[in-house]
Amino acid sequence: MTLKATGRLDLTDRRLLEKAQDEFPLTVRPWENIGNDLGITEKEVMKRLSRLSRRGFIRRIGPALDAKRVGLQASTLIAMKVPKNKIQNVANMISIYQEVSHCYQREHEYNLWFTIAAHNELELEKIIQEIRRGAGIAEHDVLNLPSTRIFKLDVRFQLT
Amino acid sequence: MDSLDLEILFALQDGIPLVREPFSAIAVHLGITPDEVIERLKRLREEKVIRKFGLFVWKRKVGVVANAMVVWAVPSNRVQEVAEFLSKFREVTHCYERRTTPNWRYNLYTMIHGVKRKTVSEFVKKLSDEVGVEDYLILLSVREFVRRSTGPIRPEGWSGSEPSDIN
Repeated sequence: MTLKATGRLDLTDRRLLEKAQDEFPLTVRPWENIGNDLGITEKEVMKRLSRLSRRGFIRRIGPALDAKRVGLQASTLIAMKVPKNKIQNVANMISIYQEVSHCYQREHEYNLWFTIAAHNELELEKIIQEIRRGAGIAEHDVLNLPSTRIFKLDVRFQLT
Repeated sequence: MDSLDLEILFALQDGIPLVREPFSAIAVHLGITPDEVIERLKRLREEKVIRKFGLFVWKRKVGVVANAMVVWAVPSNRVQEVAEFLSKFREVTHCYERRTTPNWRYNLYTMIHGVKRKTVSEFVKKLSDEVGVEDYLILLSVREFVRRSTGPIRPEGWSGSEPSDIN
């Protein structure tokens, strides 16, 4: 992904972010390896990453997992019709569930969309009902949309 | 994949620390060497249990705008063909077929990234014309409430057998 110049990242920052996204070295001293590739010291890599992190550019550095391979066998996408004045509260409640990885408000009468990953279908259904009842949403205002086939899943923009 | 692998993945769920040797702490905690942690991570990456290991940016911060989910109602005998066609576009980062319901007929979902908000509908119209599917909806994101890594993982609950590959 080429990063647009935001005016707040210098060239080295942008190269650092791209290197760390696309070619992260799994080594004992990864920042040193990255520094070698960019022609800067390990210390400078860490300093820049720390600053970028404080400024909110970095979400995290770590693994993105295949949910099914780590035991999360059941997942789905849920869409709900939530009254506008309740949407923040409902979203706050939903975000407490660690099983929810994404939650967005969208421009449609089904205005709250979120993904849930659970160990099995029973657990998944339980979470869906808990969320629905907790939010005070009627069953007919909820869409349960599990995937049946995955044609493309871009690891650079992972969206489990 | 064994329970030690899972322990490592569980420990790294929220990311690695910004220290000179980020894998040493987890190694000490598990009673193994950093090299072993790294070998395991490499293997998990090769086996695609780890889809990607690296830095994840907050997309809005780095200037990528508009998270558009476009849903399409595609005749079932054309889903494969349409999906493969749409997936060829760089801007289409995800393409899933999903279940329909009696009051929701859209069966193909594409995530569009890297397209400016005001040009999304133009871009999607172009896709629609090229692929010959006119029944679609653009569901632009208004707010992001939750965006985090897959979880939770439960090392204690691991039975030791790996589930069969789906998709």
